[in-house]
Amino acid sequence: MLTAALFPLLLPFASFLLLALCWPIRQNGKLAGAISCAAAIGSCYGALELLNMVTTGDVGATNGFGRTFPWLVANGSTIAEVGVRVDGISATMLVVITLVAAAVQVYSLGYLSDEPDADLGRYFTWHSLFIPAMGGLVIAPNLLQAFMCWELVGLCSYLLIGYYWAKPEAGHASVKAFWVTKFADMGFLSGLCVLYVATGGFEWTASLHPTVATIIAGLIFLGVMGKSAQVPLHIWLPNAMEGPTPVSALLHAATMVAAGVFVVVRAYPLFEQAPDVLFVMTWVGGITAFVAACTAVVQDDIKKVLAYSTCSQLGYMVAALGTGSLLGGYFHLTTHAFFKALLFLGAGAAIHAVHSNSIHDMGGLIKKTPYSAFMFIVGALALAGIPGLSGFFSKDIILEEMAHGGHWGPLALLIVSAGLTAFYMTRVVVIAFLGKPSAAVEKAHGAPLTMGAPMAALTILAIAGGYAGTQLGSLWGGSLAFHWTPVGITASAVGLAGVTYGYLLYGKGVQGPALSGVREMILSGPIDRFWHATWRKGLLPTAKGIAWTDRYVIDGAVNWFGWAAIKGGEALRVIQTGRSQDYAVAVIAGVLLFVLYGAVGG
Amino acid sequence: MTELFAQPPALSAYLFLAALLFSIGLYGVFSRKNTIAILISVELMANAVNINLAAFARYSGDMVGQSFALFSIALTVAEVVIGLAIVILLYRSHKSIEASAPTELRG
Repeated sequence: MLTAALFPLLLPFASFLLLALCWPIRQNGKLAGAISCAAAIGSCYGALELLNMVTTGDVGATNGFGRTFPWLVANGSTIAEVGVRVDGISATMLVVITLVAAAVQVYSLGYLSDEPDADLGRYFTWHSLFIPAMGGLVIAPNLLQAFMCWELVGLCSYLLIGYYWAKPEAGHASVKAFWVTKFADMGFLSGLCVLYVATGGFEWTASLHPTVATIIAGLIFLGVMGKSAQVPLHIWLPNAMEGPTPVSALLHAATMVAAGVFVVVRAYPLFEQAPDVLFVMTWVGGITAFVAACTAVVQDDIKKVLAYSTCSQLGYMVAALGTGSLLGGYFHLTTHAFFKALLFLGAGAAIHAVHSNSIHDMGGLIKKTPYSAFMFIVGALALAGIPGLSGFFSKDIILEEMAHGGHWGPLALLIVSAGLTAFYMTRVVVIAFLGKPSAAVEKAHGAPLTMGAPMAALTILAIAGGYAGTQLGSLWGGSLAFHWTPVGITASAVGLAGVTYGYLLYGKGVQGPALSGVREMILSGPIDRFWHATWRKGLLPTAKGIAWTDRYVIDGAVNWFGWAAIKGGEALRVIQTGRSQDYAVAVIAGVLLFVLYGAVGG
Repeated sequence: MTELFAQPPALSAYLFLAALLFSIGLYGVFSRKNTIAILISVELMANAVNINLAAFARYSGDMVGQSFALFSIALTVAEVVIGLAIVILLYRSHKSIEASAPTELRG
């Protein structure tokens, strides 16, 4: 069982080691890609086997299988453990990760086929590292291992965003992502320190004093806000789109950004003891969903639309977790991973066809690339929550449970966001894929099979994923059965209204209200400007002050002792004449002093 | 003259002589530059001690002190041998037997 649990991690890790250490293979980009893809597919197979073992009852789905090994041993006691913990939740997540990773890696073979071999080798090396890093987070038996792997996926994110390192924007974007998430991770790390002081361990479940629980849950949630791109720490995610599109699909849509949601699901026994944090979480999620959806409406870059859409959907998940709808949030994570990865891959196919990110450079792509356009539209409809597709089911569960819990404020924000989501996806589909072709589209070419096949696989999952709700619910130890409720009907109606309005506005040329003021306001990026000002006026001077203190006060004190020792030594060296007679005089003088002391002092 | 030696000298006379010899030796050790002269001065100091030993032995009527003095003389001879060996090595390495010649340990 331990072997089965570790196999999906160790296979890609072996591929990573091979590519990282054996540079002739890495330099041969195609070979590196083949190895990495093979490892990813094998890992996906291993994860499916593991899920099969969990569902067929070899291990209990809810109790799961756990095995830990002592890690940090000090004074005979173990500070922390590493190991695996496999249950319904982690096995499903592992399947999602490896499945999307395998699809994305195969897709990358086609998408990045024009890249230099050496760069391609580097790209696949980091991709191979990502699977074990994320997998280690998912099967972590305690928060410390989760945090360690959390940082590892952050590293992969940093490296892959900066893949086009020669482009200044990509460099800035990777550094920005690193800074913002690291700022948030300080919260996570402090939370772990408090947890260790309070309980002497890093367990997912621990009963705590309410105040301590609030502090720990609040600090961990800060880390979650950074990783899962919640307002106001979402600013790095749109910039992260500077990375290659498959990277955006895997890390910045499907899996890595969902790590925060996963950690909350796992650590929910901790969060449960901090109702204040859950309340804040619900509102942060709701506000994120709304603000990001508003921002997505005015973007012209297809990847930026999808990035803000990811923020918005993560807001749904976080809001769901805040209301205690664990399974709803987790279900949405799963379905979102499939349809958002599909959307990114579809966007990648469109970008690949016209060599531009702007939706205005596309237009009428459905005639040139009918298959990928069709698959993109399926993904868009799933995201918009059109009944029958996966996004509809998971979103419905979230909204239903929020209404059940009486969280009317966030619920209203989420329903409005559902309309906005449908609206902006319709806008993208109408402008980029329907409508009249632009000049660039005339020269467009279809995607190769390596790009088409992964998209087809994800399309099937984006359609079918929703119907797996009942099975997944029992696997996760709860119920995700679907039934119609007033809230669900309202949300679907709002979604359909969004689609209709978007089609009328962009497809039929109906004039809507201009709202140019709002548009300008959103495009000027108020949150980005706020952080920029904070960084420039607050963080930098503080950091400079600390650096000054470090250099001149702390280092100064240390240096003074060194300087004093040197000067003292220089002063004392004159008595060391090196002449034996002088030393003899000193010895005799000393003896005389003793004699004198004996005679006088007695 | 004969009256002078009729009585054996008092113990204090021997002690005075020994102290004088010791002081002369000490002065020699401090003031001479020649290492052989320093060795001779050390000999003076050692012999001052021997006189003390013999004098006290006679005074207390216990001969152990005198035999101890004989031991001491033998030991002093050995010490002189080592001292002269050091002088020879000093001459080989520094082409001088002055005590101020080796200054490698100066700070």
